[in-house]
Amino acid sequence: MIIDFVNYAINGALLGLLYALIAMGFVVIYRASKVFNFAQGELVVLGGFLQWWMVVSMGLPMIVGIPLAFVLAGVVGLLIERIFFARLVGESVFAMVMVTIGLLVLLRGVVLVAFGPQVRPFPIVFPLQPLVIGELMIPTNLLWGGVLTVLAAIGLSWFFNRTRTGLTMTAVAEDHQVALSMGISVKRSIAFAWILGCVLSTLGAVVFLSGKSLNFLASEIGFAALPVALLAGLESIGGLLLAGVIVGVIQGLATAYLDPLVGGAVGSVLPFAIMLLILLVRPTGLFGWRTIERV
Amino acid sequence: MSKPRAPGFATLAAAAALACALAAPGAALAQTSYGVAMLSDYSGPYADVMPMLGRGREVVLDWWNAEVGAKLGVKLNHKNFDTRYDAAQTASLWPGIKSEMKPIAVLGLGGPDVAALSQRLPDDGIPLFMSTAGYGYAWKPDSWIINPRPTYTHEHAGAFKWLKSRRGGSQPLKVGIISSEASPAYVDIARGIERYAKDNPNEIQIVETIFTEVQPTDLSTQVRRLVRGGVEAISIQTNTAAVVATKRALQGLGAKVPVITSSHNGLPASGKAAGGLDQMEGDYEVYGMAIASDEDTPARRFYEKLKAGYKLAAPWNALTVMGMSQSLYTVRVIEHAIKKHGAQNLTGAKVRETLYAEPVTTEETFGMLPTLKFTKEAPFPIEGLKVNIATIKGGKYVTAATNVDTPAVKKW
Repeated sequence: MIIDFVNYAINGALLGLLYALIAMGFVVIYRASKVFNFAQGELVVLGGFLQWWMVVSMGLPMIVGIPLAFVLAGVVGLLIERIFFARLVGESVFAMVMVTIGLLVLLRGVVLVAFGPQVRPFPIVFPLQPLVIGELMIPTNLLWGGVLTVLAAIGLSWFFNRTRTGLTMTAVAEDHQVALSMGISVKRSIAFAWILGCVLSTLGAVVFLSGKSLNFLASEIGFAALPVALLAGLESIGGLLLAGVIVGVIQGLATAYLDPLVGGAVGSVLPFAIMLLILLVRPTGLFGWRTIERV
Repeated sequence: MSKPRAPGFATLAAAAALACALAAPGAALAQTSYGVAMLSDYSGPYADVMPMLGRGREVVLDWWNAEVGAKLGVKLNHKNFDTRYDAAQTASLWPGIKSEMKPIAVLGLGGPDVAALSQRLPDDGIPLFMSTAGYGYAWKPDSWIINPRPTYTHEHAGAFKWLKSRRGGSQPLKVGIISSEASPAYVDIARGIERYAKDNPNEIQIVETIFTEVQPTDLSTQVRRLVRGGVEAISIQTNTAAVVATKRALQGLGAKVPVITSSHNGLPASGKAAGGLDQMEGDYEVYGMAIASDEDTPARRFYEKLKAGYKLAAPWNALTVMGMSQSLYTVRVIEHAIKKHGAQNLTGAKVRETLYAEPVTTEETFGMLPTLKFTKEAPFPIEGLKVNIATIKGGKYVTAATNVDTPAVKKW
């Protein structure tokens, strides 16, 4: 039925926009430091647990608890930069990437120690009832997530292209030494990127987990967002929206039509196949910056 | 030559005391120690349920050492090894476990342990006692892996049959399966139910088998397909996150279709993850062991005894029962082996041999398990299989049915 096809495509696109929201965390940190943050999924889990802590455990109203969780996430971002990355200014990108892998293991351990391994109920932030338009049925959390993703992308694009802070962050990503010689505070730019990355991850957790359960396994969303980040190119905020929709629609249609045929999770695997193809054909992604080297 | 001195009163008293001490049963028996290794998951996908299951296991071993082993002159040393529910981790830990503990029995957790050790255990001569139901890929004769319960497919087939009889009519029950390819065990369970449906088209009809992530993002699309296909029951035997995501999708669709879970992702655990037991109203959990409801049963009384006397710090639920029953049938088999072969020089091979020679009665496990008669045909008992079913009614966890016959299931 054509209506089913449209429904699967819309739901897939909205799911892809959720991946784009998570991928924004990758891009923001990459744009400021050229570091690919392997711990992005763990930051989503941490953001989720901070919200659970504020709203469910401490019993604060959502309107107070969730903003407080965002503030705490920002503090965590600042701490991560101060403890680990401030000391690595001028060091190789490889060293910083290795630190993000260590951060992945550390954050997982911290979440287990601080919040325990139990599966926790995440607050119902968005209504559980889907939006029904005729035969179309759209999950409310994904719909709101799509709106938030588009707004976040517009805001971040403006920030990176139109503000002084955003432009200095881009300069920092180009070369730490050059940025320092131009009087730009590299540490401040990287700190801001990590704060922004943590806040975006917490926003992603709201959309991803609203009304569902939360434990450290939720970090898998970080890797699910990886194909979107790579398809867009790791520097493009706007490109994430298109890449998210492409990956989401392909995944949604594959889940609907191919999974029942082959009895397997084609929908989960296909985005990664696309990712590998992109890396082979166009390593910079659809909208990634092309580096021109002058000899 | 001086005459030997007659022993004084003090000497005689000391000798008498020594003789009494040596003659006293239990206290004077030389204690022989054996190792029981416990494969656990405190940092993987079952880290949330492991504390309950693990405490259930440990406290039963402590109880046995104090009240049974002391009289037999045997102490079972036990230690946890965190495998993270990962076959590679289990395989890498195994040589160290053997050299450190020299175990005569191992308590396993799940499919990855089976996958990692099934080829090694016959050479090592150590039986692996599970708490879970059996798996299709491990359904082989002469196994060193022992399950007190039949396969998950057997257990859910029992629930399907019961649901169909309650519904009435001759039409097959329309069943949906939500599974994951994250573990071979999950896939195995789904394939088993599909095979049962193929062999028994009058009993159940599979609407669709859906494979998803262990933490699904959204299942609305998939669950909608099931609902439109007329699904009457959804079988989920992966984890609580999948149950919660399915429930949210059903709530979003306004569909009331019962979800059938197992012991490891049962109603209390899934309800807790969903925000309350009332969220699971009308859903079911099914397995071949005692149900942890409020009724006064021998199993409950044994739990209360361990709680009071052995500091069992775990709630009365299916997970604690899983751990307790696993240790209980293991220590009973070891106990039978000691009585048959003596306390000295007990080996894993002798323990396994005794398992087939003598059944473990339901009285010996305080009703936590049915009477277990193992044969070398399968890793689990294949006769007189029964399951119990629990549900949520009026927001309360209650027994829905006990001793439900499990239909015959062919190997897949």
